[in-house]
Amino acid sequence: MTLRIQGLTYRYGALFALDGVALDVKPGEIVGLLGPNGAGKSTLLRMVAGLQPPDAGTVHVDDVDLWRDPIAAKRRLGFASEHPEFYEELSAEQYLAFLAAVRGLDPQAAAGRARELFASLGLAGRTDEPVRGFSNGMRKKLSFLAAILHRPRLLLCDEALEGFDAPAALYARETLRALAAGGAAVLFSSHVTEAVERLCDRVVVLHRGRVVRTLARAEWGVPSPGLTTLERAFLELIGVPAAEVPA
Amino acid sequence: MLEHAPDLAAAFARLERSLLRRRWAAIEPVLRFEIAALVAFLCASLFWRMRLRLGSIAFAHGPWAAAADGALALAGLALAGGALCGARHALRLAPGSPAPPWLALPIPPVEIHRHLARTSRPLALWAAAPAVAILAAGVGIVPGVALLAFAGGFGIVLDRAARLGCAAAFGLALLRTEPHPGCDATTRVLAVAARPVRAARSGAARWRGDGAFAAFLRKDALLARRPGAARGRLVPPLVFGALSVLVWTAPIAPGAVSTVALALTLMAAAGVAGWIVALAASDPFPVVRSLPLGPGVVWGTRVTWAALGAVTLAAGQALGADLSPAPSATAPVAGTALVALAIGVLGANYAITLFPRADHAERILGIALAISITASLMIYYLGWALLLAALLHSARRLPRWARSEAA
Repeated sequence: MTLRIQGLTYRYGALFALDGVALDVKPGEIVGLLGPNGAGKSTLLRMVAGLQPPDAGTVHVDDVDLWRDPIAAKRRLGFASEHPEFYEELSAEQYLAFLAAVRGLDPQAAAGRARELFASLGLAGRTDEPVRGFSNGMRKKLSFLAAILHRPRLLLCDEALEGFDAPAALYARETLRALAAGGAAVLFSSHVTEAVERLCDRVVVLHRGRVVRTLARAEWGVPSPGLTTLERAFLELIGVPAAEVPA
Repeated sequence: MLEHAPDLAAAFARLERSLLRRRWAAIEPVLRFEIAALVAFLCASLFWRMRLRLGSIAFAHGPWAAAADGALALAGLALAGGALCGARHALRLAPGSPAPPWLALPIPPVEIHRHLARTSRPLALWAAAPAVAILAAGVGIVPGVALLAFAGGFGIVLDRAARLGCAAAFGLALLRTEPHPGCDATTRVLAVAARPVRAARSGAARWRGDGAFAAFLRKDALLARRPGAARGRLVPPLVFGALSVLVWTAPIAPGAVSTVALALTLMAAAGVAGWIVALAASDPFPVVRSLPLGPGVVWGTRVTWAALGAVTLAAGQALGADLSPAPSATAPVAGTALVALAIGVLGANYAITLFPRADHAERILGIALAISITASLMIYYLGWALLLAALLHSARRLPRWARSEAA
C-alpha cells in the first residue's frame, strides 16, 4: 500500500474537521476525493503532505510513518496545492532548479524534464520571469509541475487542475495516468465531478470530516472516451490538432 | 433595474469611512502604542531642538525673526506632507497597482479619481504632529498672535500642498498615457493604472546537484538580489555597517568613538538578524514543509549568513580602527564578532522556531535585544547573560520545527 491513513482526526475548537478518517491508496491507483465545501478535503491533504500534524491518527507513505520519519516520507510524495505559494521573486525555472537540488535529483535529467513539462503545460517562454507576475492558471500549472518533477510515489492533488486551460488539463490528466501506470498512487481532490469521473479508479466521498462512502468505478460507469465535442472544437480554434492531444 | 440616480457622494463617503475604520482596525494595539511612542519621542526631540533654535534667534534678532524661522519650518513640513501625498498617489496610479476594477463600474472616471485623491490626502496628516511640536516650541518665544496665525495657516497650506501633490502625481501619470480618441485624461490614467505589469526576466536557472544546503544558500542569495522584502531588509545592516566603519574617521573624542562604533555595529547586527527573519518569511510554508528537509539545513544556512555578517562587521571594525587618525585606536574585533554572531543566530532561531509567523519572530527578537541592551546599561555583562539565555531557550525549540506554529 502506498498511502495508508488510519483514524485521522483534527479539530478546530469544538468542530471536527476530520473525524477518524481511514483510507488506503494502492500503487497504480488514482483515488478521487469528493465532498462539499468544508468537508475536510484540503485539511486531509495538508496532513498527508506533512503540513499540519493531526490530533490523532497515522499517515503511512510506503510503510513510512509520516510524523515519525517525515524526511523519508516526504521524499516519496509530491503535493500540488489548491492555493499554491512560491518564492515570488524567483523565476519558474529557478524555483524548479531549487526544488530539484533540495530533492537531490540529477541536475541534467531534472532540467530536461522541467523543459519538457514547461512546454507541455504551455509555460515555455515564461520560465525566466519571476513567479509573482504569473496568472492564477500559470501558478497552478507551476505548482502541479513542481509536484511531479521528481516522479513521486505518492501524488496529492488539491484541486490542482482547476484553472488549467483545456490543452494543459488534458495533458495533466494524461500525466497523472502515466504516473499511476508507473506505479505511483494519486489522491485527487476536485470539485469538478466530470474530472474525477474521467480520471479516477475509485472515489472517496468525504462529508463533515468523515468518509461516508467509497465508490468503485463500476458504480458510475465508464465515461465516454476521447475528447468532448466542445473540447474538440476549442482545440481546433486555438490551433491545437485534437489528434496531438491525449484523450 | 435602475429606479433612481445613485448618490455617488454618499456612497464614496461611506466607502472612505469604512476603509478608514478597517485600516485602523488592522493596526494591532501594540503597534498603535509603538507608533504613538515613536511619534511622541520624535516630536519631543524636535520640540527641544526647535526651542533652543528659536530661543537663540529671538535672543539675537528679536521674536519676529524667530517667528519667521518657525514659519519657514512649518512651510517646509507642509511641503513634505504634500510630497508624501503625491508619492502615495503616484504609486496608486502606477501601472499594476492593486485596485478594484474601477472602470468596470458605471461611475464617471472623474469621481473615481476624486475618491482616490481623497484617500491619498490623509497621509499629509503625518506632518501635523511635528507641526504641533514646532508650535509648542515657540510658546513664550514667538508672539502669540503669530503662533495662532501659524496654527490656522498651517492647516490650510497643508491641505493645499496635499492637493497639489495629488495633482502633480496625476500629471505625471498622464504623461505615461497615449492620446486616444473619445477617451478623457482620467480614463486614460485609470486604464494605465489597471494594466498588469509584466515582471522583468531573470537569467537562466543554474541546475546543480550540490545538495539542499547549497541550494538554500544560493536561493537566499538570489532573493537578496531581487526586488522584494529580503532585499529591502538588507539596507539597514549595510547602512549601519558602513557607518560603524566610517565613524572611526569622524572628529569624535577618542574615548567615545569606540562606543559609538559598537552601538552602530550592534544596530547592523540587529539588521542582519532582521534580514534573516525576512529570508525565513519568504519561505513559502507549503513548499518548504512538504520537502524532505529537516530543521538542520534551514537553520544551518541561516546561521551561515549570521556568521558571514558577524565576520564582515568585525573586519569592518578592524579596518575602521586602522583608518582612525588616533594612533592608539583599537577595536574589540573578537567581542564584536561574538556579539554579532549571537544576535544573528538568535534571529535565525526565532525565524525557524516561529515559522511561518515572521511578525512574531521579529517582535520577540526586538524584545530580546532591547532587554539585553537595557540590562547591559544597568549591570555590565548582564546583557550577555540574557542574550545567552535567549539563545539557549530558542535553540531548545529548534527540533519542534516540524510542528507548525500556524496550525
